[in-house]
Amino acid sequence: MKKELTFTLNGEAITAEVDPKWTLLYLLREVLDLTGTKEGCGYGECGACTVIIDGRAVNSCLFPVMEAEGRSITTIEGIGLKDGSMHPLQTAFIDEGAVQCGFCTPGMIMSAKALLDANDKPTEEEIKDAIEGNLCRCTGYVKILDAIKSAAGGR
Amino acid sequence: MNNLTTVGKKIPKRDAPPKATGSAIYIQDLKVPGMLYGKILYSKYPHARIKGLDTSRAEKLPGVRAVVTASDMPANFRIGVMKDNPPLKAGKVLSIRDEIAAVAAISAEIAEEAVSLIDVEYEELPGIFDPLEAMKEGAPLVHEEAKSNVLKMPWKLVCGDVEAAKKESAYIVEDTFSTPWVTHCCLGTSGCVAQFDTNNNLTMYSNTQIPSLAQNDYIDALSALGLKNRRVRVVQCVIGGGFGSKLDTYAYEYIAILLAMRTRKPVKIIFSREEEFFATSPRQCTITKISQGCDKEGRLTFREMEMILDNGAYTSWGATTPSVMMLPISSLYKVPNIKYIAKCVYTNNTYSQAMRGYGNPQATFAIESSLDQLAEKAGIDPYELRLKNANEPGEITPQRFKITSCGMKECIDEVVKRLDWKGKKGKGGNRGVGMASLIHVGGGARVYKSDGCGTIIKMDDFGKVDVFTGASEIGQGSDTIIAQIVAEVLGISIDDVNVINNDTDICPWDVGVHASRTTFVAGNAALGAAKKIKEQVLEVAAKLLEEDPASLDIKNGVVFSVKNSEKTTPLGKALRKVHYTLGGKMLMAEYFYDPANENFDKEFKGNLSVSYAYGAHGVEVEVDKETGQVKILNYIAAHDVGKAINPLLLEGQIYGGGLQGIGYALGEKMIYEKGYLKNGNFLDYKMPTVKDVPYVQPVIVESDEKDGPFGAKGIGEPGLVPTAPAIANAVYDAVGVRIKDLPITPEKVLKALKEKEKGA
Amino acid sequence: MTGYEYYKPKTIEEAIKLMGSLEGARYIAGGTDVMVLLRQKKIAPRCMISLRNIADLTRIDIKDGLRVGSAVTHSAIEENEHIKKRYSALNDATTHLGSRQIRNVATIGGNICNAAPSADTACPLLVLDARAIIAGPKGAREVDLDDFFLGPGSTALEKDEIVKEFVMPPFDENTGSAYIKHTRRQAMDLPILGVAARITISVKDESEVRCRDMFCTIDSISNILSRLKEEGLKCEDARIAMGVVAPRPIRAKKAEAALKGKIVSPELFEEIGNIAAGEAQPRDSIRGEAWYRSEMIRVLTKRALIKAIDRVIRPDEAIYPERLW
Ligand SMILES: Cc1cc2nc3c(=O)[nH]c(=O)nc-3n(C[C@H](O)[C@H](O)[C@H](O)COP(=O)(O)OP(=O)(O)OC[C@H]3O[C@@H](n4cnc5c(N)ncnc54)[C@H](O)[C@@H]3O)c2cc1C
Ligand code: FES
Ligand code: FES
Repeated sequence: MKKELTFTLNGEAITAEVDPKWTLLYLLREVLDLTGTKEGCGYGECGACTVIIDGRAVNSCLFPVMEAEGRSITTIEGIGLKDGSMHPLQTAFIDEGAVQCGFCTPGMIMSAKALLDANDKPTEEEIKDAIEGNLCRCTGYVKILDAIKSAAGGR
Repeated sequence: MNNLTTVGKKIPKRDAPPKATGSAIYIQDLKVPGMLYGKILYSKYPHARIKGLDTSRAEKLPGVRAVVTASDMPANFRIGVMKDNPPLKAGKVLSIRDEIAAVAAISAEIAEEAVSLIDVEYEELPGIFDPLEAMKEGAPLVHEEAKSNVLKMPWKLVCGDVEAAKKESAYIVEDTFSTPWVTHCCLGTSGCVAQFDTNNNLTMYSNTQIPSLAQNDYIDALSALGLKNRRVRVVQCVIGGGFGSKLDTYAYEYIAILLAMRTRKPVKIIFSREEEFFATSPRQCTITKISQGCDKEGRLTFREMEMILDNGAYTSWGATTPSVMMLPISSLYKVPNIKYIAKCVYTNNTYSQAMRGYGNPQATFAIESSLDQLAEKAGIDPYELRLKNANEPGEITPQRFKITSCGMKECIDEVVKRLDWKGKKGKGGNRGVGMASLIHVGGGARVYKSDGCGTIIKMDDFGKVDVFTGASEIGQGSDTIIAQIVAEVLGISIDDVNVINNDTDICPWDVGVHASRTTFVAGNAALGAAKKIKEQVLEVAAKLLEEDPASLDIKNGVVFSVKNSEKTTPLGKALRKVHYTLGGKMLMAEYFYDPANENFDKEFKGNLSVSYAYGAHGVEVEVDKETGQVKILNYIAAHDVGKAINPLLLEGQIYGGGLQGIGYALGEKMIYEKGYLKNGNFLDYKMPTVKDVPYVQPVIVESDEKDGPFGAKGIGEPGLVPTAPAIANAVYDAVGVRIKDLPITPEKVLKALKEKEKGA
Repeated sequence: MTGYEYYKPKTIEEAIKLMGSLEGARYIAGGTDVMVLLRQKKIAPRCMISLRNIADLTRIDIKDGLRVGSAVTHSAIEENEHIKKRYSALNDATTHLGSRQIRNVATIGGNICNAAPSADTACPLLVLDARAIIAGPKGAREVDLDDFFLGPGSTALEKDEIVKEFVMPPFDENTGSAYIKHTRRQAMDLPILGVAARITISVKDESEVRCRDMFCTIDSISNILSRLKEEGLKCEDARIAMGVVAPRPIRAKKAEAALKGKIVSPELFEEIGNIAAGEAQPRDSIRGEAWYRSEMIRVLTKRALIKAIDRVIRPDEAIYPERLW
């Protein structure tokens, strides 16, 4: 039984027809074709599916789609700047070598963005806290930390 | 070489922007019109006879388009290195990942439901899960048609005379070490989309690391399925991690092909994370008996190793890892007498594959742990023992490796200096230091008949370049390295170089991303092609400028004469001239680089690689004696890389490899109990998180490899090779207990401490 | 997967009424347990009743003790300075639970009602004398948290009932608490075991504890304890709770009794650890071996108590130093 939902997605109000059993991730990837948000596990254990909901980083793979109603949701596709250029975090990830296979990258960036939006001068510990739920198998995390620090510093 | 403009620079990865913005298309993201979703039914038991199989309920489910079982596959069709693996199983299942049936349906959800409606009647059989048990006389046979559970792969290397050397040794140590099953944990799971055109030609969207070899495998499969002489095109999506997992083709790919053939529709199979854990092929567990000796002065006299590898139920490249294990066994340090025997044993566990390091981490764990034991027995500082026996340029090792460049001593020295070895070694206080070195192939590895890679370059009217390479980008940055090399040779901006690498219809042949070979082999191929096209360009420009081509060069996209700085022409102009002149030609060059390395002979000897990578890791740890927890305080990873073509990417390989090594050393293990995987998820499989990252200092030693592109050698795998023994050695230095079985868990450390207390 | 309907009541009453009238319904708060069970096909509810949008369940009230609504997220608890200071054990648990993303949605009520033996907030709530306020079709009732857990996944909740909030008494400056979660990784991990402790000690003025500064040094813990013994530091009251060492999170009541009224000393703490270990029935599992868990109860009980004492003696120390044990 489909239900109609209205919420803000990447700054724009949208209405979507959903099945209540869907997760938010399913709606984003399979229905809205926003495939920048990845599924690495489907169990809340890897963070590849991280999106920002009302300012907080959330695993969209565990988020019931019906809870999206009335909320403001941001995905990796929605963080670019108004002039079309990339978000400073995206640039920093690229420049600092924080991207290898890239599968964890969108989730990492979303977790980092949630942090920087709330705290523009995070300590290293705070950065680690923010991305502790984002697994990366390629980079050893060091360059990811560098990238987030550099994006924070550059603001 | 000093005036390099692009090579040697920290240039960001070229594929990073689409990945960072979410626009890169991974196999997960690919949708082909009309696509169906495939799902596989796996065995419920690790060893059982299939007594009945009924797919009728699944077939009746609305939305199901095909259900296939073993009877739909050609009866004798087998995959894998030993051709011992039917993609769909009938009769008997040999492991919990055995594929019994599969479904294609209009949605993933329906496919999943249909799979649950397939009824299988099993007769459970007793399984064999321990390779030692499996080797015993009269053990039940995993493959009934084989006479033994021991694979017919007689890995044996003998150099010199170990028995004689034992008699002459002043000190000898002997011990047994073991390593667990661990898995790649690619963040992007496995998957493919198989699609036939009207003429039954196949397009396979895949994330393989071996497009050319996979193409070959698929062609064989099509023949077996009655489609002879068809074309196969392999298109790679962006790959969400490799680490060796995608070096073979797997049953799911053939199942997708079969389903696509049946339904005449594209079929997509994507693994769930559960499947990725239990149905992909991990690094095998090993048991190693090792003995080493030295003379009074600490010169190594011999090394003898016997190894047993759990092959699992079928055979993939895991069974061939002893070939690479031989590398450190014969040639890590100068050891005149070597004996090594390895046996791969069938069991009813999952089956093994190569994983970053290709056996080297398992072998090096035993060698470098044992070396510390020997140092202690001989009363020599482990660092001095290593330095005394370190490899050197110009050496020919007992396995006939010709060591060209070698920065091993420099690496060891860096470790000692940066760790304050002398100030910290043996100081107690629950803190300790340890080190271990590594050797790995750094200039390709002739494991197949060819170790080659092709490259094609063409130039357009405006001086922009397209490079078609056989090398796959799996996140390591091969695209960027290749673009840097081409830009450097042609004197153009890296932004003007486009690398195309993901389509067998247009890209030349390559044996695949393995053996840390891509920078070296694909780099050399790109270098060769770029040089060739440069010659052509200069010839054209020479006419235009009325100069001798030999006195022309290109910089910043401008051709100029080194003799007369007045004589210049923009590259584009010269190129247009070629195209717009009557009788003009097209600028294009191709190059196939196959390094001058050798296949092993029958005795497993020969110069496997044209150059060898070296490194040394040093670590300071602190052990909590009450809980057994090990904390890394400082980690030095020194690597001889020949030349750093891109330090940014290089450091990424060292950090990434290092953390995988730390995971291997301290936490990761697939827990198999009686053939069932007990921890197939990211909560229970302890891959390191960002909070587990210690302070790591990468140290890059440049030894300038004469055969490498701009002096570079491979570095993809070495980062994780010496990590575990370095940590084990440090734990021993800290609290006097030696853990010989990875991973070094708090339980093992605490138990050993308690036993030591009791003994004392 | 068969589908379900999703309901979003605004009040507790409405939620309970829905639960009573719908077939196969289940409460869902943050969903981090429910959505996982669903995906694993371990449950197949026909309806979900969300507790996320009920304002009465998402409040933290620090008047006369502490009241934490059941739908308060772990992040919200973590960010609350009062809880960090006066109910430190709870802060310890919520800062180390799952990951940032999990804590942003997962709730304390879900953690307790899911009743896993490993639930991280259970031990802190036990040592903080929490009571669960329960609302149901028959009205409200209160259950001591110690009586709430019946076994793995099983609680004292009756049909259609909701946990409304957790209530804890006020604690004065002489009381400190701590929770130590013993894990293999530093994040994203379930505990091998967990131990929480609360202790009230006899100090009038924390600056009169002369060995105060020893806590932030690398001095050995037995030295510090010996000094505390010399200074006659007495334990007035104590609670100890342990997770993953029995079918449900449990209190170590014998150990608590043995501690009460005694002067803190190395010998006493060894003894307390042993008593606590004797009160547990750990089992072997893939997450840890029984012998090791027993061993760790001894070690962590001692450490949790010391950490709790430290919090009384150095109340302004924001960060507990990573010390050598
Ligand atoms: C990746 C991951 C990591 C995790 N790590 C940890 C960890 O480290 N430590 C830990 O303890 N847990 C961990 N968990 C488990 C889980 O996150 C916690 O138990 C969490 O607190 C559950 O809260 P929730 O709001 O998400 O519960 P939900 O899933 O919404 O509900 C859990 C159960 O409680 C019931 N319920 C919820 N609220 C109420 C109420 N008010 N009244 C009555 N019944 C109710 C639900 O019906 C359901 O049965 C982890 C989970 C995941 C996915
Ligand atoms: S996909 Fe959501 S956390 Fe892994
Ligand atoms: S870049 Fe591959 S997982 Fe992070």
